[in-house]
Amino acid sequence: MFADESPDWNLDLDGSVTCELCGEEPAALHLLRVVDGVISHTHLCPSCAETVADQTEGLALVLAVPSVLRRLGKSAPEAEGIQASDTDQDVRFCAVCGTTLSDLKESGVVGCVKCYQVFSEYLAASVSGAAEPVEHLGKIPHCGPEDDSLRHEMMRLERMLRELVACERFEEAAGVRDRLTELGERLEGGAA
Amino acid sequence: MTSSVLTASALGLSRNESGRRFPHAEDAAALEELRSGVIEILTGGSWDQPWHVHDLEKMDAVEVDHLVERGLMTPAFADRTGEGRGFAVYGDGEASLEINGEDHLRLLAYRRGGDLTALWSLLSRLDDGLETVLSYAFDPQWGYLTARPHRAGSGMRAYATLHLPALTLMGRLSETALELAGQRFGLTPLWGGLGGIIQVSNLGPQGKPETEILQQIGHIVRGVIEKERSVRKMLFRENPVQSRDQIGRALGLLQQAWSMPFHESVNLISAVEVGIDAGLVEAPGLGSEPTFGLMSRLQPAHVVVDYMDRRVGCLESPAVDEQRARLLRELFAGAVIMS
Repeated sequence: MFADESPDWNLDLDGSVTCELCGEEPAALHLLRVVDGVISHTHLCPSCAETVADQTEGLALVLAVPSVLRRLGKSAPEAEGIQASDTDQDVRFCAVCGTTLSDLKESGVVGCVKCYQVFSEYLAASVSGAAEPVEHLGKIPHCGPEDDSLRHEMMRLERMLRELVACERFEEAAGVRDRLTELGERLEGGAA
Repeated sequence: MTSSVLTASALGLSRNESGRRFPHAEDAAALEELRSGVIEILTGGSWDQPWHVHDLEKMDAVEVDHLVERGLMTPAFADRTGEGRGFAVYGDGEASLEINGEDHLRLLAYRRGGDLTALWSLLSRLDDGLETVLSYAFDPQWGYLTARPHRAGSGMRAYATLHLPALTLMGRLSETALELAGQRFGLTPLWGGLGGIIQVSNLGPQGKPETEILQQIGHIVRGVIEKERSVRKMLFRENPVQSRDQIGRALGLLQQAWSMPFHESVNLISAVEVGIDAGLVEAPGLGSEPTFGLMSRLQPAHVVVDYMDRRVGCLESPAVDEQRARLLRELFAGAVIMS
């Protein structure tokens, strides 16, 4: 069966919440404790979480909050850069569904497909921690536009090319590169 | 993959129709139009097995909870209110479909044991069937678009349910949670973490084909099972008396209690399962049923529907706890802890 995904489990802390124990470090972890059948949730920094988990008599489970971990993994100027660009976009809203950036930050949901374009920079930074979203390399709709299939195939081949070059399998890489060029031309031809 | 630690697998596949806003931002008429359109596809299309459409308006709390407990509906969908919601079960419960929950569509499948790949094959096939009529919201870079951008990409979330009482008890899951978070996988407690029942699942777009994500979950699961087994061995080696004492006390309560809340039963069965797995406990009354199966059928709506002929309308009634205790007394009557 499926676990209850109440907001408590999915807190996507933006780094502004401080540790509930030391009150100094940013809270990066969600600690679940079950003591005498009573469940409690706390948001802690990694070192406090470790100490509390060790001291808890009963069940203690630390759940990481991924986006904060990604942010912690960045150097300080990079992390600040994300915040600065967030501020620049704060006035943006989606003309199709009326979702604003602050709605998105608060709820974590977008209202429509167009939102992915309107809030592209914020979404790429918050979902994948990079300027571009993580490339989708899985299943694609069978009935979608041919361009979608071509772009998808090209992304798959680009990934393959990077891997082949890294393994120094240059002959195979050349074949993949030729196929990429061919698909690129087809895509441009279709767009023209 | 079979193991008494790996207890169940679940898969969800989220999709949205292009040209419509996501359910929370869409108007009631458009959602209703989508719902009736999808139901038409389910009832009129050519499927290997029939779809059974449920009328959510006519279902009471026990029926809804029973679906959640059977892994056919997500708790989030059960708690949701809003226009245009629909729900259907495929075959005898092989899969199900939530309509207008957080996304327009979410296909679900749940099985005991560990075959996530089979669940993916089934849901992907059902997805193909729906796509013959619906046009999905898709972006070549992002993948399938969902209301929650963290779920975009494959739109797939896979869950492997593990029984990890030793790792949980020893607080050893924190290091695993941190390690997994870096690879975009997470640990989520089922039933609030009671009994050490934990789910490993993928978080966020992975930039990998679905089958690779499932393989990676399989790899993670094998590693976590190994850790659980080694911590259990360490517990028995370093604390033999306390370990046996905990298992024996749990068995005593299961055999003698006359009122048993669900959360307590999960903790006790979890402890006894550790004893069974280590060859310390013999419980002939259980037969070949895995203890996770037993925990599942002791959930409140299961007790009311399966053992009380729905005579009780309230899942919190003391009669449910009494019935649960009766079942446990019968099942564990002949169980013994080996000396």
